[in-house]
Amino acid sequence: MSTDADLSGREKEDKERRRIKSGGAMRELMTKYYLEAKAAEGTDRHIAWITSGGPVEPLIAFDVIPVYPENHGAMCGAAHMNVELCEVAESRGFSRDLCSYARGDIGSAVTKGGPIGGLPRPTFLVCCNNICNTVFKWYEELSRFFEVPLFIFDTPFVRGELSFHHKDYSVRQMEEYISFLERITGKEYDEARFVDVAAKSLYASSLWAQVLACNEHKPAPMTCFDAFILMAPIVTLRGTQEVVDFYQGLLKEMRERIERGIGILPSERYRLLWDNIPVWYEMRNLGRLFTELEACLVADTYTSAWTFEGVDVEDPLASMAAIYTEVYLNINLERMAEKIESLARRFDVDGMIMHSNRSCKPYSLGQYDLAKEFTRRTGKPTLIIEADHTDSRWYNRSEVETRIRDFVENLLGESVGV
Amino acid sequence: MGTQTMIDECLEIWRDPYKELSRLREQGERPVAFFCSYTPEEILHAAGLTPVRLMGAARTIGHADAHLQAYCCSLARTDLDMALAGELESLEGAVFVQTCDTMMRLSDIWRRNTGFPFHGDLVLPIRMGEEISLPFLVEEVHRFREQVEAFVRHEISDEALRESIRVYNRNRRLADRLYRLRREKPHVIDGLSATACLVVGFWMPRQAHNEILQRIAENLESVEAEEVDRLPLLVSGSICTTPDLFELLLELGADVVDDDLCCGHRYFDAFADETVAPEDALAKRMWERVNCPAKHQCLEDRAERLLWQVQACGARGVVFYLQSFCEPHLFDIPYLRKRLQEELGVPSLVLESELQSFSRGQLRTRLQAFIETIRGV
Ligand code: SF4
Ligand code: SF4
Repeated sequence: MSTDADLSGREKEDKERRRIKSGGAMRELMTKYYLEAKAAEGTDRHIAWITSGGPVEPLIAFDVIPVYPENHGAMCGAAHMNVELCEVAESRGFSRDLCSYARGDIGSAVTKGGPIGGLPRPTFLVCCNNICNTVFKWYEELSRFFEVPLFIFDTPFVRGELSFHHKDYSVRQMEEYISFLERITGKEYDEARFVDVAAKSLYASSLWAQVLACNEHKPAPMTCFDAFILMAPIVTLRGTQEVVDFYQGLLKEMRERIERGIGILPSERYRLLWDNIPVWYEMRNLGRLFTELEACLVADTYTSAWTFEGVDVEDPLASMAAIYTEVYLNINLERMAEKIESLARRFDVDGMIMHSNRSCKPYSLGQYDLAKEFTRRTGKPTLIIEADHTDSRWYNRSEVETRIRDFVENLLGESVGV
Repeated sequence: MGTQTMIDECLEIWRDPYKELSRLREQGERPVAFFCSYTPEEILHAAGLTPVRLMGAARTIGHADAHLQAYCCSLARTDLDMALAGELESLEGAVFVQTCDTMMRLSDIWRRNTGFPFHGDLVLPIRMGEEISLPFLVEEVHRFREQVEAFVRHEISDEALRESIRVYNRNRRLADRLYRLRREKPHVIDGLSATACLVVGFWMPRQAHNEILQRIAENLESVEAEEVDRLPLLVSGSICTTPDLFELLLELGADVVDDDLCCGHRYFDAFADETVAPEDALAKRMWERVNCPAKHQCLEDRAERLLWQVQACGARGVVFYLQSFCEPHLFDIPYLRKRLQEELGVPSLVLESELQSFSRGQLRTRLQAFIETIRGV
């Protein structure tokens, strides 16, 4: 593997040409956000910890600073710091088999450890179980630890179509959520403000969807590893103007890349779909491996979770409620299979790599069946690799790399076409 | 039949319940499997089906590994394995109540890979005991009733449902009576026997179980036995697939005087209201009954309840018996242990079970050490 130092002048130039420039703007945005959030600790601003799939728009409309332990977990994972945080939780009796985001977060709450010295103390918590049921157990623990109130936005699992009573339950909880925020912040609900925030959130999410769609183009202007990083603002800050601005800039950059034929890889021979949360501590190595194999991860099931569709601006509360209920992890396997199949067709992939993520049961259980179903529907092969999103103690690099190599090298032979 | 013979039979079924399935079939019953104590069994019962509870098995996995990763609880893995191996042919189908993430996915995997005629799904809210979730729960109970009706191809009348509610309420009263007896006169019936009498009910029609409980309770209530000196313990967790834990404790001079188990006390807690519309009654019961850690209950704190239970039965230690990889239970452990220790000075032991690698020897060693610490020897 060559390092930057060995690169010739032309190679360097080419690398610079292919680099995504908006990365800098994003880092600035996120740094500013974390600095502000940390500075708010101990002031009279409210800080809420919220799950990644939770409805954040009401918080923004009430001027509450939202903080995302999962995003922080990813950061700790990428910085190779989550294992030590997990160990803190384990020494306090939390099983090693629990989700490593949760363990790391509990560890960081206790020690203020991690790359940014821990998250600012919450004044309350918001938990939405549309991504898993782990989160409410985790947030119950946080609520006991910090002695702060917990609001649970309960989104029962959706089998088939969303039923009327299901929608009704979500809408009533949205209303309850608003009253909860009124009580806690002492402010009155401002409908106009909320509509504005919701509109910005939706707009940002549609921009994000368009950014991701740019990868339908060949060669792809980015890989999903880039998307994993570039999605931070849509997860944490959607509903604000800065985020809209950021994704406008990013979209413009992506479109220019397409126009100028700039792909993210020097050469793109294979196009792959990624399933599940990234292996955060291994992004760099895997990125290198895929580049070497000329395989581009053009789409994934994870980043598209923040692309909202079908919103009725006239009735934002109700449509938000429905959207939050029907996210990718909260639907049955058949509906998931449809989504993967459509991603595979839209992005014209040669195969799929599934990360069987020890931490995340709703994402990982069922993958074996989904893999078979995927191949049945598309004729394309799948590879399942075993890992954990932030606990590297479960990861066997040489084994995973060998399997990926074998898989990609066999791709041309295996594709049977649809 | 003598009381002890009856209890021995119950124990035998607990040890190897799956052979009961074909027996039920031969008797003309139509068994439907359920996994979770939130299942409104009354609806199945009223439709003429016989709910039986799959509780995992100590076995080597042969088929389920193609569908479930090894980091999934052994109950899901071994139950699926039996189904895929064709060992559950006598079943008409199964009911999946969505409590944890594993069960929610297992439902799809089971439906897609087994060929049972009936597949029932009941989606639960996690917010129990709060006004806001009750209407959702009532609708889900209604939807479940419709699924069952569609399968048996006839309506389940309100009258039939009311009758089933009465049968199950009677069952709960009798189970409670037996448990009270065991708490008050542990020398007359020990934890192993009492739990066996309860667990056996998962493998027979409810009326037959009521007969058994009634006879055992009546016989034992009049018995005056000599007091025995056993260390009183409480067991908390999900399901005990085998009686091993209880047996070992007895062998080691301890006894389970009460439990917080899903196949024990939590199973029969709270009655369904016989005076309101049956669907409302069933929903309300689930909503207010003692909480499972897979749910969020506002009416009562789980730790409070456990502390209270420990004090009431005089247990001097708590054994947490869990399935490996079971997130809902594992999350609660540090908190429950801390409160037990700090507020009551009651020590606890955590045992995790993976049925595929069940080791009685190891279990024994750990239990023995725990008992010795409490006894101070
Ligand atoms: S179990 Fe999965 S969805 Fe839930 S918190 Fe962990 S990673 Fe997220
Ligand atoms: S043992 Fe735990 S993980 Fe397994 S099915 Fe029961 S609640 Fe779910």
